[in-house]
Amino acid sequence: MLSRTHFIYISACVAAFSPSCLLSFSVAAMQVTEAFKHAFLKQMLLGFQASAVSTNSMGIQERKNAIKLSADVAMAVFRGSRKWTRGLIAGLSEKQQNRSFLQLILGEQYERRLMKPCYSSWKIPRCRTIVRRSLRVCCRRQKKKKNQSGVLARTLVEKRTQQLKRLVPGGESMDGLSLLDETLDYVLSLRAQVDLMQSLLTTVESSKLRSHSKRTLTERKASYVGK
Amino acid sequence: MSSRGSSSRITDEEINELVSKLQSLLPESRRRNIGRASASKLLKETCSYIKSLHRDVDDLSDRLSALMATMDANSPQADIIRSLLRS
Repeated sequence: MLSRTHFIYISACVAAFSPSCLLSFSVAAMQVTEAFKHAFLKQMLLGFQASAVSTNSMGIQERKNAIKLSADVAMAVFRGSRKWTRGLIAGLSEKQQNRSFLQLILGEQYERRLMKPCYSSWKIPRCRTIVRRSLRVCCRRQKKKKNQSGVLARTLVEKRTQQLKRLVPGGESMDGLSLLDETLDYVLSLRAQVDLMQSLLTTVESSKLRSHSKRTLTERKASYVGK
Repeated sequence: MSSRGSSSRITDEEINELVSKLQSLLPESRRRNIGRASASKLLKETCSYIKSLHRDVDDLSDRLSALMATMDANSPQADIIRSLLRS
């Protein structure tokens, strides 16, 4: 489970940064308190309810997709407005079958999110400088290594940056520092999502085991009485 | 650098902080506590970590789906879910 101190530390560090228009840090960034976990879980369960996940009429695959959709939407909704959350919702909207669920959960917010300007058309010239500087900062630590493969290393970084952009929702339109910032936030949210789903699973599984053993005990008692 | 005011300049220090935060999140560097990794290593590990988290979510969705398939409205599991929603 995520530790509370981990997040409080991050929030404190974040608060010490000077503001800039590229970075959207906030002090209350990711305080994973019990209230947060509870609200995230509730949001997810509401989603399950909305797609009638507990009825028998769904096939396993269909139910799985509904669960995953609920979990992702809960994660995005709960985190609020970030580049990656907007990217996630936009990506999910591309599939026709998701739209009615999104409409249901997000309501009028959904229309507003779709209307947000598309960042991919922005050219932020500063970002290229920042990417170069962050590469230099990382490369400086490789002083001891032979740098004959300098060009190769840069190409590799380019390639990996492209991979990361594909993994982080909305990443294609992010540059430099913005990508790192969003990645950090996205990873933290993913971990919270995994933890919550795991706890939900454990809770339901264990209660199932308890009720099953209670039932078999009752049955056994009944059979003794009958004899 | 552009002609923007100094308050909006992003320093190497800030980049450093972001990079080390990201690195501290990655499971491998937590286990072995390596000194700072190279840019490409950091990116590669971040990518594989995100992919493994995606796989976890997928796997958990499968298991939840199987579990909920056998849940009926009167079972205690449905009660748990209802009570979570009410609170």
